[in-house]
This record gives sequence, C-alpha cells and structure tokens, in this order.
Amino acid sequence: MSTQDRVIIKKLPTGVPGLDEILGGGLPEFSFNIIAGAPGSGKTTLAHQIIFANATPERPALYFTILGEPAIKMLRYQQQYAFFDQAKLNTAVRFINLSQVVLEKDLDAVLEEITKEVEKAGPGVVVVDSFRTVVRKAQGGTTEVELQSFIQRLALLLTSWQATTFLVGEYVEGEIRDNPVFTVSDGLFWLYQAAERSSIVRKLQIVKLRGQASVPGLHTFRITHAGLQAFSRTLGLAGQARKIPSTRRLSIGIPELDRMLGGGIPEGDSILVAGASGTGKSVLATQFIAEGIRQGDPGIVVVFEERPQEYAERASSFGLDLKTPRKEKKLEILYLRPLDLSVDETMHEILEAVRKIGAKRLVIDSLAGFEMALAPGFRADFRESLYRMITALTGVGVTILSTVEVNESFTEFPFSTYSISFLTDDIIRLRYVCIDGQLRKIMVVIKMRGGNHSKDIREYEITSKGVVIMGDRLTEYQGLITGIPEHLNRSGNHEQRSHKPKAKTKTKTKS
Amino acid sequence: MEKEIVSLSESRHLAQRLLTYEAVAGKNSEPAESAAFRVCAKLRRPLITLAGVAGFRSLLSRALTLARAEAPSLSVVQVAADGSVEGLGELASQTDKEQARDGGAILIAHLIGLLLTFIGEGLTLRLVQDVWPEAVFDGRVSEKERKLEHTR
Repeated sequence: MSTQDRVIIKKLPTGVPGLDEILGGGLPEFSFNIIAGAPGSGKTTLAHQIIFANATPERPALYFTILGEPAIKMLRYQQQYAFFDQAKLNTAVRFINLSQVVLEKDLDAVLEEITKEVEKAGPGVVVVDSFRTVVRKAQGGTTEVELQSFIQRLALLLTSWQATTFLVGEYVEGEIRDNPVFTVSDGLFWLYQAAERSSIVRKLQIVKLRGQASVPGLHTFRITHAGLQAFSRTLGLAGQARKIPSTRRLSIGIPELDRMLGGGIPEGDSILVAGASGTGKSVLATQFIAEGIRQGDPGIVVVFEERPQEYAERASSFGLDLKTPRKEKKLEILYLRPLDLSVDETMHEILEAVRKIGAKRLVIDSLAGFEMALAPGFRADFRESLYRMITALTGVGVTILSTVEVNESFTEFPFSTYSISFLTDDIIRLRYVCIDGQLRKIMVVIKMRGGNHSKDIREYEITSKGVVIMGDRLTEYQGLITGIPEHLNRSGNHEQRSHKPKAKTKTKTKS
Repeated sequence: MEKEIVSLSESRHLAQRLLTYEAVAGKNSEPAESAAFRVCAKLRRPLITLAGVAGFRSLLSRALTLARAEAPSLSVVQVAADGSVEGLGELASQTDKEQARDGGAILIAHLIGLLLTFIGEGLTLRLVQDVWPEAVFDGRVSEKERKLEHTR
C-alpha cells in the first residue's frame, strides 16, 4: 500500500496556543480521548477551549456534565475566559446534565441517554465531565467486564457518529495501569499542577496519542484570561530548516575588539561575555545591538534587571540611540521580570519578539537575571531550555550575545559560574586587574569556535563612547589573568612594594 | 458589557416581558395568572437540561423563598421534586386575580434575577430566547404586547 492509499486523519485545532504543535498538528478527528489531572489542573478549561474552537451549529459540541461542578457555576466561571463565545451557547455548544441518570440508573441508561442526545444533535465534539464520576458510580455494582463493555460501546457509538470525544476525569498517575478507560482511549492528556516553593508550576503531557507523533515530555502551560496557553519543549522550532552557515562577520561596534575576534562575530554564533559586576558587559552588549541597528540588523534585547526605558536612557549616555529604532520597530527591549515564569514561556516571549521584527541579533542581559526571573521549580530546566533556544535560534542565523556575571577571583579565571560555556561558540572575558595601584580592566577572547582569534590581553575603559580598547596588548606585565600582575621591567621587590599596603612596609622597616 | 450588580428592575422588566408574551400566546380560556406558571414550566426544561433536576429545583426554591418575602400569598406554592410548581389552584382560590398574577410575576422576576446573578445577562437572554424564539428581548415591544399592555 502506498502512502497515497492511507487514510488521512484530519487534525482539529485545540484552540490552545502551542498545544496543536505539541500534539503534532492538532487533535485527530474522531479520536476518543481522556483529559486527566487533579482538581484545579485546568481540565474543564481545556475541554471548553476545545469545544469553543470547533463547535458550529451544523456540527455542535455536546458537553455532558455529571455530578462535578454545578453547570450554572461552570458557566458563571468559564464565561470569564476570552474564548467563551456566548453566541455559541445552545446553538453550537450545548450543555446537558446527566447527573440524575447517573445517580438513579445504571450504565446502560447513561449510554442510552448519551446515544439519544448524540443521534439528535450529530455533534462534532462530545465532552463528558466528569467521566470519573460515571466510573465511580458504576463500580458500586458493576463488574470490571461490564465497565469495560460500557466504555467500549461508548467509544464505538461516538466514533461511529463521527464525534471527537473527551472524557474529563480526576485521575492520579497510579491509576493508569489496568484501567479500561486508558486502554480504550486514543489520546491521553495529563495535566499537572505543583507548588514549587512560592510558585505554581503547571505542566502537561501527551501520555498517549494514536495515529500521530506528539512532542514527548512535559510541557509547561499557563492559565490566563485567554484560557490555557501551552509552551512546547521544542519551542515551536521542531523541524525548522537550518540556515546554511553564513560567512558574514558581524561588527560588535568596537573596531579593536572586532579585530581581536578575527573580523567580528561569525553570523549565527552564540557569544558569551563574562565578567564581574561593573566590567562593562551590558555596555558592550548595547554597543553590539546598536551597531547591528546601524547596519540594518533588527535586534532584541532581553533585560531582567532594568526597565526598557532605563536601558534606552543608559544607552544614550554612551551616545547610542536606541529610542529611534524602538519607535521604528527595529529594536525591541523585552523586560522579563515576573518571578514565576516558566523557562519555556520566557523563551516563547523571546522567540515571538524575534519572529515579529525579524531580529538578526539578540542580547540576553543577563543569564543570571534570566534564571532569577524563573519560578524556582523551573530553574532546574534552565540550561536545557537555554540550550534548545540558542541552538534553534542560531540555527536560523540569529546571532546571540549573552552576558554572565562571574565572581571575580584573584586565584581563578572562571568563564562562567553557570557551566554554560558549552552553549556558546565564542567567549569574551572581561576582568579587573590591579596595576600600579589602580583597579583597571582587561579583556581577552577566550574561545572562537569558528576560527582563529587574537590571543592578546587588552586593557579597556568604559568612556562616554562605551567600551574603548586602549593601546596595544599589555606586554609589560606577567600574570594579568590572575588579577595581580607583575611588571616585568621593574624589580620584584619594587612591584611588591607598589602593591603592598603601607602597614606591611612599615613592619618590614621595623624588622 | 459587564455589570457588577444585577438591578432588580432589570429582572422585573424581563419577567414582565415574558409574562406578557406568554399571556398573549396563551389561550383566552386560561386565566392570566397562570402565565407565570407557564413561564416557569417553559424555563424548567432547558434549565433541567443544563443544571439537572436538582440544580433547577434549588434555583426555583431559592426564587420562591425570595418571592414569598414580597408576596406572602405564594406560601401556598411549592416546588415539587421534579422541579415543577405546585399550588396554582390554591393560590387562585385564596387570592384575587391581581394578587395571584403579581405573585407569579415576582416569582419569575426572582428566578430571572438569580440567572442574571449567576450566569449574566448575555447567557440568560440566550436561554430565554431559546425558549421563546419569536419574542424580542432587546427592549423593543412587539405590536401584540403593546396592545395587551394597552388593554390592561
């Protein structure tokens, strides 16, 4: 049989941003699905979003409510969501209460009632909320075989009537084994909600989905005024074609540094600028983005520690105009501060901004701020998600400059406290050094994956024009990267004297 | 449009419109006060579909309790287990026509008021419109209704 002979399974939209992608394109039409999770995990809201996205007067959605949340209250709360279209009520979306049948009669009567309504309406989507109640009630005097038979007949009926079905239920993970509901179902969508320190972390998993490849793993989601919004682990970038590697070099806006980088940053690279507080990481990043704008590359700056207005103001103090490109939509400064963001949600915001303005350059200032903006429960996923985003973005040609603060040590020379240097193609290290009784600054290009680079250690200053590299490489000092170098042309004693505190000199005099 | 407080006059107005419409639609032989019970009976079906018998019964019982405070004559009226209204005959025999009609109107007004409170104006009007598809509930008065109002 050729691929042309195979049945094409139509995919229905979920109405949940991000979820269609996680499902592998949408909900398989005529599938029989379970939406499972603990109370408050968003099951009913998800079911509502699905019905309002698909129901039409010709192919309505039937929503059977059973003993769970009273229907009047459900309508009261659900209408608060933006997706709830009142005009669809009783035309495209019909709520039917089956509580009494379930309470007073047996499974056959429940099936009969559902059959009657389904045959009458010819629905495209059917929801039973909560199906768990039906099963619990049935288990009182029903054998397992009878229960399985009921579920199978229900699945047969609804599939034969060409309905895509969702059984909503409060299940816990342990119940997945030996439960006939899960055996019969084509799709199993599990919603989780957990408190992690002071934040709520919501995740969903497509445990099972027949007929199509869903994105495996746990995906974060959020419930807002608009309903559920899911954030795929692949950040919507799965299967995205990689750009043919470019040979273009991007100027960082500091000519001497461009030379040290062998002509600039290779387009599509991820570069890390590491240094202690006050070494000029943010200034350098601003120069990189401003130079991009000047050369016609739209850019995104993601900041966590100051607001966009302040960021733009600070840039103007270095003679860099970020206000005009912001107005012209060539630059977007994203301020992501909320402390309960999921990492994928944050990535999603960044990716949306990148897509919106067709950004070629992205600055993340800083990775430490980024991590702090996440809910504690998501911090464990930080590096993995960052890796996925950086790989995906650089793959399509976006050049990313991230800053990271490192603790200044006078005995070590760490690139990053985050052990994320594996994420980057290139690393620039900024450092304080103590020279001639002054705290001065040096920079060095540590690594460039794309080729050769200068090995020079250069002194720089932060002036009114931003980061400016001073003079040639520092050849007169030894041990610059320790932070306490020695001047080669002076005697050791003289150098020691020049760096030692007066008290010690006095002690020496005494002896 | 969102409304924080459902005004009593709003529910009274809608109840009155329903009663007027039902009175116009009803048979001449039926007493005018029975319009309230017909409105109740007609609302019962979709509300039972939506909220179940227990849900509808609870709503109607609450509406009746609120209505009795304004119209004590309604004390003879009861809500049956299936959500239907009982005691119509007694009400008609114990009070005059006008009192019975007013009592019915107050009961409907409170039932509508509860719906407006819980599910809002949009969904309430939608439910009502489904029951009386030919009626106009957007503030306009039909010719038939106008004539009836005029004859009162």
